[in-house]
Amino acid sequence: MKNGKLLVAPTVLWLCVFFIIPMLIVVAVSFASRTPYGQVVFNWTFSNYQRFAEALYISIFGQTLVVAFITTVVTILMGYPVAWSIAKLPKKWQQPGLVIVMAPFWINFLIRSYAWVIILRSQGVINTILLKLGLITTPLQMLYNEGAVMLGMIYALLPFMVLPIYVSIEQLDRRLLEAAADLGAAPMTAFRKITLPLTMPGIAAGTILVFISSLGMFVVPDVMGGAKSALIGNLIQNQFLSARDWPFGSALSIVLAVLSLVLIMLYYKVLNTQKGGADDAKDVA
Amino acid sequence: MQKTWRSSVLLAYSLAVLAFLYLPLIILALYSFNDSRINAVWSGFTFKWYQALFQNTRVLEALTNTLIIGFFSTIISTALGTTAAIALHRYHYKFKTVINGLVYLPILIPEIVMGLSLLVLFSQAHLPLGKPTLILAHITFCVSFVVITVGARMEGMRNDLEQAASDLYATPWQTFRYITLPLIMPGIIAGALIAFTLSIDDFVISFFVAGPNSTTLPLYIYAMVKRGISPEINALSTLMMCATVSMVVLAEILQPRHHHRSQEE
Amino acid sequence: MKKYVSLLLFLLLSLLSGCSTGPSGTTTPPKSAPSSQQQTLNLYSWADNFNPEVLAAFEKKYNCKINYDVFANNEELLAKIQAGGSSYDVIQPSDYMVATMIKLKLLEPLEVKALPNTKGIIPALRAPSFDPEGKYSVVYTWGVTGIAYNKKFVKDTPKSWHDLWNPAYKGRLILLNDSREVLGMALKMHGYSNNSTNPAEVQTALKDLQKLMPSILAFDTDTIKQKFIAEEAWIGTMWSGDAYFTYKDNKNIGFVIPEEGATIWADTFAIPKGSKNKELAEKFINYLYDPEVSAKNYEYIGYNDPNEKSEQYHSKEYNNDPFLKAAKDYITKGEWLKDIGDALPMYDKAWTELKTGK
Repeated sequence: MKNGKLLVAPTVLWLCVFFIIPMLIVVAVSFASRTPYGQVVFNWTFSNYQRFAEALYISIFGQTLVVAFITTVVTILMGYPVAWSIAKLPKKWQQPGLVIVMAPFWINFLIRSYAWVIILRSQGVINTILLKLGLITTPLQMLYNEGAVMLGMIYALLPFMVLPIYVSIEQLDRRLLEAAADLGAAPMTAFRKITLPLTMPGIAAGTILVFISSLGMFVVPDVMGGAKSALIGNLIQNQFLSARDWPFGSALSIVLAVLSLVLIMLYYKVLNTQKGGADDAKDVA
Repeated sequence: MQKTWRSSVLLAYSLAVLAFLYLPLIILALYSFNDSRINAVWSGFTFKWYQALFQNTRVLEALTNTLIIGFFSTIISTALGTTAAIALHRYHYKFKTVINGLVYLPILIPEIVMGLSLLVLFSQAHLPLGKPTLILAHITFCVSFVVITVGARMEGMRNDLEQAASDLYATPWQTFRYITLPLIMPGIIAGALIAFTLSIDDFVISFFVAGPNSTTLPLYIYAMVKRGISPEINALSTLMMCATVSMVVLAEILQPRHHHRSQEE
Repeated sequence: MKKYVSLLLFLLLSLLSGCSTGPSGTTTPPKSAPSSQQQTLNLYSWADNFNPEVLAAFEKKYNCKINYDVFANNEELLAKIQAGGSSYDVIQPSDYMVATMIKLKLLEPLEVKALPNTKGIIPALRAPSFDPEGKYSVVYTWGVTGIAYNKKFVKDTPKSWHDLWNPAYKGRLILLNDSREVLGMALKMHGYSNNSTNPAEVQTALKDLQKLMPSILAFDTDTIKQKFIAEEAWIGTMWSGDAYFTYKDNKNIGFVIPEEGATIWADTFAIPKGSKNKELAEKFINYLYDPEVSAKNYEYIGYNDPNEKSEQYHSKEYNNDPFLKAAKDYITKGEWLKDIGDALPMYDKAWTELKTGK
């Protein structure tokens, strides 16, 4: 393909028109201020960014990062084996397997979150069963705390981890593992030295999708966490939907985006230094 | 043998995760037979929500809108994303970092900001709000997910087959059609699944770019929250679940054998 | 490959043009032009806010089609109307949002002559402070924010907002998830206005709420009814209309308006600038206040009927309901939430501080 390079053009063009141009407006708004009635006046101020530097907002950012980090780690631990199982299914069952994993996510998110509330609340399914069995005497308070927020996040984002990892595992050359076994490598060693490095692109892609998506979550903390804590997603949402402070909301969003982009680049840098290992494994074949 | 207990542990673990995914849906299905309008406590068995659902043209209209928008945005974003992922993997660009950044950014921007900024764009361009603007917006936030997913596949791909094909004088098109495409197909399917999932469940962005007569299911459901989500929605969700699962099974049964001839091995 | 790209573009373009049917040109009325003489009313409201039979009857009577679209939040409505391009004919902003929209010149004045039925509205709701001349809006649903409680667990009938601070309700207390409502409640408790822009007063309110934080089960506006019905929550702040709803499913629920005073609120009808069908919009608004129609409508939606003339058409149960009655008796005493302009970010910050515990 002589002009193959141009294949990237439609997407780039698309994103320029429907993303970059609107984003320029957002950048401009982040340097503006609000009028008493919430309209935007362009007076080129840096104050929205300065406001962010307050301890209050920094701590929200920090807490959001912690939640996102835990969510990502748990979804890897939960998602990897599932992706592995699907990839090891007979070929004709793989696609149905994927759909079965994805299908719950075609039901509205809010509806599913409320279903969790029914399961976990003090008069809910789990507590009722435990009480009937005599295992507890007073209902456990499982909802409206940080644990419930984590559960909701993990539940919401798991498929975004499973799919990319599946994509990587599916193309893993089994002969490599057989060769390793023939050479006397223990299964754990083979996994660490061969499987893991070779499926790293999938884990990386999944990590980015999950980590980034969890940074912006705001429905889960409200429904599962009883809206008692504020994550950065809630803070931004509030600027647009109750404080009517578009400039501050825009500034927060830009800080969030830049921060995430830096994290992604760092992450890839770390991965690339490890990539040597993966290439070694390929050479063995 | 050791290998069998390993794989049965793995299977049990995977089934447990699957149960975790489906647990809320079972509850949801049960509550679609609950007599109470407000869905707080169990107050008796009824079929009335299913009857009500089929008379509720507004819900059914919203469902149709959602599926139409999901269909088009999935197809277009998958096509765009796949071509971009292929090109990015294969060629060297002077501004590769910039292009990569451009691809990641739409994921990094909070949905509400993207929704609002698209609303401003469309209103400045005098584009009437409705299904077309919804599709444009959905494509925009889905493309990146497709590029990343297909990209992960490309990265782990062996290049030797493509090499061999061109050594055998296959045209670039033939190489693409018969070698590359089958090799990256699982990535494309995964990307399309993600795009479809995002599209049919999107609320925040859709809200801002929807116009008269283009209410989608999530928009409808979120707006219902203030008065209490009607169990009709549970009934609808249950039916959608059943339809999806039975479609998967049916497709497997009906699919002619030779389609399954594996392309890779 | 190029072939496919151009095919894609073609598909996209045909889709774009295909969906905006009707005569070409961008200034024509929105959406698929209805058959010959039939008119379309674009209604933008909260979900499930009308008796569907009433809407159908209107469509039939005036040979028109109602496009009923929904929003979930006042600010979303504002953003949509400000951006233009959506061409709605009737919208339903809440009280303070009406004031904002008037200031931003987004509303069309209503033609009084076209709305004879609205004369039946309770005088106190005819010229509320958010629209002092009643020129731009008509109150549709309204209520009071009070204390809901479960008689099974809360033995002493609450009288004051202070009762929420009773340690006996620890972990069973629920507050609306709304900065203005919650801070407004604490302000009221101290005898301040719920629209206070005095930082010291807001700080006092915040301090008290921070003490309450460990007792709070959740902040919730949308599913607060479910939490009361399932008896997860024993006591909390609630809108009168929601309390009426909740009571129907759990007879232990009581509702009081505390002695320090409370916030009243309303959702209204208004016509946004740029409506293509103002006449039909006014016919619609007028129709909904026809005494018989409004009785039918409010029985269905379960909120207070603002129309005095419809009382005779309501069921006995509705007319004697203690919750709706309590709200009605209180109407002249409550205080509306106003748009507090420059002080809004201060409230948001206090709200964020409350939630982060900083």
